[in-house]
Amino acid sequence: MPQLIRVRPTKIELIRLKRRRALAKRVQKIVKDRLAILTMEFLQVARENVVKKRSLIEEFVRAYRSQIVAAGYHGYIALEKEFAASEADLRIATGSRNVAGVRMPVFELKEDKPLTEFRGKAGVLVGVSLIDTSSAVDQAAESFRKCLEIIIEMAELQRNLELLGMEIKRAKRVSNALEYVVIPNLQVTIKYLVMKFEERAREEKSRLKRVKVLLQ
Amino acid sequence: MAEEMLYEKTLQQYLSDELKLVNAHLPRQRKSLSALLDEEYPHVKCSDGGVQSFKKKELAYLATLLNEEECQRLMLPMLIEVLSGQGESIVLSSVGVEEKVISHILEMPLVRTERGLRIYRPQLSALRQVLRTTTQYVFLAVLGVPRSEDMVKRPVSLFGEERVKV
Repeated sequence: MPQLIRVRPTKIELIRLKRRRALAKRVQKIVKDRLAILTMEFLQVARENVVKKRSLIEEFVRAYRSQIVAAGYHGYIALEKEFAASEADLRIATGSRNVAGVRMPVFELKEDKPLTEFRGKAGVLVGVSLIDTSSAVDQAAESFRKCLEIIIEMAELQRNLELLGMEIKRAKRVSNALEYVVIPNLQVTIKYLVMKFEERAREEKSRLKRVKVLLQ
Repeated sequence: MAEEMLYEKTLQQYLSDELKLVNAHLPRQRKSLSALLDEEYPHVKCSDGGVQSFKKKELAYLATLLNEEECQRLMLPMLIEVLSGQGESIVLSSVGVEEKVISHILEMPLVRTERGLRIYRPQLSALRQVLRTTTQYVFLAVLGVPRSEDMVKRPVSLFGEERVKV
């Protein structure tokens, strides 16, 4: 139920209220547009998150399968020795981007020295002896590298999802407040003031008529 | 009464701030694709003092679609004007390179208006999926602030040296 705003019944207040209503309507429109954009982005990120999660699981299955084969073929000790030589520092470039007023993180894996090199059909783990190891090691390395990439992408998506969700909630609250409280209150008050002025004008008119009759 | 006035004033201020917030992320000056490709951490500065980072993967993808001259002409981030209350948006395009990129991504020819390329919401979604960091939204139509026609006449701030010719 809209409530009257307590204002002095003057013309200047009426003008002020009308201006405020115009501003509120403009803000409401923009908030609605923003909400539509944020919702679209949210759904897109959510969809992509699902796809990435699925591909991460598939890639992990592939990687562990290759690792098991490699471990069975070479033995754990030999494998660990090979992997120790292939250790590399990882660098993640971080930044930010802004979507309709929401600042979101951007992560990107930076490979100064590539973890795997592209040779033939599969990636080959850098630092590992090509003679002493089988292709299963290379396959596992390539799959784990892909997993790493997907994990970083998923970290970004997950945070984006959280931030977008929070902003959508806030924008929705603003939109609802404008739609159901602020604008109706302003409209009711404007209507009340207009009626009051009309009533005053009628009173004035009848008073003048009465005075005219008395004078005659 | 005084409390109510204060509340109203605060509300008014809040609403005005809300309008400022949505466009606070616009770039101070856009950079060409070829310039961004040369940077180690490609980014542009925003009008609110923040930074808009670009993913190298996205830039590399754009570079595969364009030749060298077009890479120099393509200014990033691409600005997408959201039209209020309508299910469509406009990609502000001054040099036409954007048209080539976007029509390639959407796999269909685009409608060109005097202000830029007209795209619809489902297309916008598809476009943003591919070009997430290299596009940005602009909310113009609703504000008491200038529309895009007015904005292009303003000096440097939004579009840098190149401006949309209307």
